[in-house]
Amino acid sequence: MALLSEVKKDYGKLKNYVNGEWIDSNSDRVIDVENPSTGEIIAKVPMSTPDETKAAVEAAHEAWWAWRETPPITRGRVFFKLKELIEQHFENVARIMVQEQGKTIDEARGETRRTIENVEVAAGIPSLMFGYTLEDGAAEGIDEDAVISPLGVFGAVCPFNFPAMIPYWFWPYAVAAGNTYIVKPSSQVPITQNYLTKLVEEAGFPPGVFNIVNGSHEVSDTLMEHPKVKGISFVGSTPVAKYIYKKSAENGKRVQAQGGAKNSLVVMPDAVLDRTVANMLASYYGCAGQRCLAGANLVAVGDIAEPLLKKYVEASKKIKMGYGLDESVNMGPVVSAKAKKKVIEYIDSAEADGAKILLDGRNAKVPGYEKGHFVGPTVIDQVTPDMKVAKEEIFGPVVTYLRMDSLDDAIDFIHSSPFGNAASIYTQSGKWAREFRYRVQCGNIGINVGIVAAMAYFPFAGYKDSFFGTLHGQGQDAITFFTDRKVVITRWF
Amino acid sequence: MVECEFPECTTFGAVIRFALELEKGAAGVYEELAREPKAAPAAEMFKALAVAHKKRGDLLEQTRQQKLNEMILEPIQDMNGKSYIIDTNAPKGADVKTAAKFASMIEETSARFYIDSSKIAKTLMAEAARIMDRLGKESQANKAKLDAL
Repeated sequence: MALLSEVKKDYGKLKNYVNGEWIDSNSDRVIDVENPSTGEIIAKVPMSTPDETKAAVEAAHEAWWAWRETPPITRGRVFFKLKELIEQHFENVARIMVQEQGKTIDEARGETRRTIENVEVAAGIPSLMFGYTLEDGAAEGIDEDAVISPLGVFGAVCPFNFPAMIPYWFWPYAVAAGNTYIVKPSSQVPITQNYLTKLVEEAGFPPGVFNIVNGSHEVSDTLMEHPKVKGISFVGSTPVAKYIYKKSAENGKRVQAQGGAKNSLVVMPDAVLDRTVANMLASYYGCAGQRCLAGANLVAVGDIAEPLLKKYVEASKKIKMGYGLDESVNMGPVVSAKAKKKVIEYIDSAEADGAKILLDGRNAKVPGYEKGHFVGPTVIDQVTPDMKVAKEEIFGPVVTYLRMDSLDDAIDFIHSSPFGNAASIYTQSGKWAREFRYRVQCGNIGINVGIVAAMAYFPFAGYKDSFFGTLHGQGQDAITFFTDRKVVITRWF
Repeated sequence: MVECEFPECTTFGAVIRFALELEKGAAGVYEELAREPKAAPAAEMFKALAVAHKKRGDLLEQTRQQKLNEMILEPIQDMNGKSYIIDTNAPKGADVKTAAKFASMIEETSARFYIDSSKIAKTLMAEAARIMDRLGKESQANKAKLDAL
């Protein structure tokens, strides 16, 4: 099958988008953006300076009041326009993601759809921003209202695994609510946001309302330290999430910082085997395991362990790897050579700890893509809860297989993890399913669903070390995060 | 002859790509048959079917763009795409009977593809399954019309 065409071979040196203008960074530090499937360099991204970041904050602050005074219905209309533009450029957005991130075209199309859904929800801002009122709420003849108000400038520091969608968990809600915004895309995958921002510009957002500053931790630190930035949204690893949470809070900002995960998928003895296996393949190998909602530990309860393992390994062997622009490919590479090395080290550690590698993806080769960072589907059996691979986030297509005697044991095992992002159960028993959803301390619970990805109108975040903050991304939670309640008590003489 | 490139049906996107190739192939064959002098009595019907197959292609693209949900992007492992490949080399100088027989085989294969795909899609995406099912039934109806010529 011929590959779908790439949008461009080379995207050149990317610019920042500040105050409605595309600006070259003055920084002499520039990083290559690599296509993880081919190893080709497809763009260069500048590591913008603190002064450039400060200039973006000033521009966003300058733009804020006029945007805040723009009626919500008018702000929403710009999002309708943006939705239409992303629909028109749907295939390009998806293909750029495949090029820079390595995911498959289906995964990229799915992500583009989720990006659009966040724009669609934010476009309904008038209904999302209602306050509340109580006549005679303070006393007879004295009314009391709570109005929902935007706060000013917000910023997001974004990861590499979802180049389009994750910034859109935040900024459409912030901007629709009347704030202004600065996104720092991941320096590994900045092209998608660059492309989408051209659509943001075309949609007609006033200068300074939405800004992009490319770069590294210097940009993030400047945003967290700047007194005019009111809050920070972050998605990435747990150590960095903790750092962002602490530093932002020290500087008096509100924070939502999403961290790592180690999600367990629990298979009960009554699970529908074929459907369970097919669904789990998508969870463990989708996006090459680089989702914060990806399955990691596979916990088989009781006597289903052997037939499940046999079927799962057989199905895993059929996973087709390759460049995601081939529509028949099931799994692409991991994002970088460094990421591949880390995944392989985890598999090595499992072997050293006495686990059995039933399917080994360490030496995976894809003909024609020898420079790609491919790791094949890997299934590790005889994993015990104390092993490193059962506890730490691998972020690759690796299944660690554990056997437990009961649902209680499985839940205890889930609770032994410092993470609490997601957990799923496969069962036909309503009783077991109900017990699982009731007891498991994770932010996202799947019942016969292996990727518990909240839709745009539901909040998304984990528990425990998977999330630092209170209000989640997306939906009404995002609106609450980006606004405050102002109480007005009115008395007329 | 219309050039088509049929992928392995291992993903939802590949199944839709396969379907798009089927539609492109079928539309192209009907356009060629409509130009055959000896098949002139059926030319209007062939033209209409060419348009219908192009519209089906649009519907499939819309389905791919709007219905694909990454949460249920399960690999497809048991669909043998080779058994649904159609012959797009329309017979030269065909009369109505020959042309209709050739097109009928395309519709029969298409119907089989869509009905089988619908069963697979049902486990992934009910809305896509309904569309596949509809296209399969349309192909069956087209085949019946062609067989009556």
